[in-house]
Amino acid sequence: MAIGDDAQHRAFARYVLPELEVVARVARSLVRDKAEAEDLVQDTLLRAFRSIDGFDGRYPRAWLLTIMRNTHINRTRRRRPDLYDDPDRAMAELADPAPGAADPGEIVAGDAFDSVVEAAFSKLPERYRRVVALVDLDGLSYKETAAALGLPMGTVMSQLHRARGRIRRDLSGAGLEPKGAKK
Amino acid sequence: MRPWRRTADSTATCQEVLRVLQSYLDGELNDLTSQRVARHLGACRRCGLEAATYTEVKRALRRRARGSLEDASLSRLREFGRRLATEGDSASPG
Repeated sequence: MAIGDDAQHRAFARYVLPELEVVARVARSLVRDKAEAEDLVQDTLLRAFRSIDGFDGRYPRAWLLTIMRNTHINRTRRRRPDLYDDPDRAMAELADPAPGAADPGEIVAGDAFDSVVEAAFSKLPERYRRVVALVDLDGLSYKETAAALGLPMGTVMSQLHRARGRIRRDLSGAGLEPKGAKK
Repeated sequence: MRPWRRTADSTATCQEVLRVLQSYLDGELNDLTSQRVARHLGACRRCGLEAATYTEVKRALRRRARGSLEDASLSRLREFGRRLATEGDSASPG
């Protein structure tokens, strides 16, 4: 049974609006173009509004991130039907760095540690960089990250841990890890 | 994540801790396992340094300038969301 308009509006305000900033930040992690990311969030909010009567009230953030992932895939299908058969490739291609993005070699080494981390992060494979962005930059849990990317939690964990391991190896190569730390 | 089996000796080994260290730093472990990891890190210098390194990596990533959300964009989205909550679908453009 469909809920009434008032209940739909109240549910949207209760469950969706508090998550808006997180959803917007995740969109920016997934889609580099700012205007495209904003459009993606608007479409996600619309879909959430229209389907909120089917939401059980549990884990709103994960629910919204799943909607956003599906919305992103559908938007890609309309614009780039050649990518439709491989939505993960679509996610990766559309998240490629914009032209003119800083080359890791151009980063000014003000803070050596941060510079090495930045450079290591930038050269990570896209699938690793996405997971690190969502967990370490956007503060998502493993479960929320899995929902946003449509991946099993085990895959999120292994990609995240491997990505951080690479960053750590670069720090070691730059001589920036604490003395006595395990190699 | 499965909790560790309780044993008479509650001290975790370095191998056990290193396997779950990143999950611990991400706050993804249950309380019992977290406590055992924390006890080990407090007593083991090498594992403690490993934890410190990964913690600093996480902090550096947070400090990273992301060119993240502009205030204007977030303001537009908040207004869009507010209008959806009060006016419904009719508030959506085109």
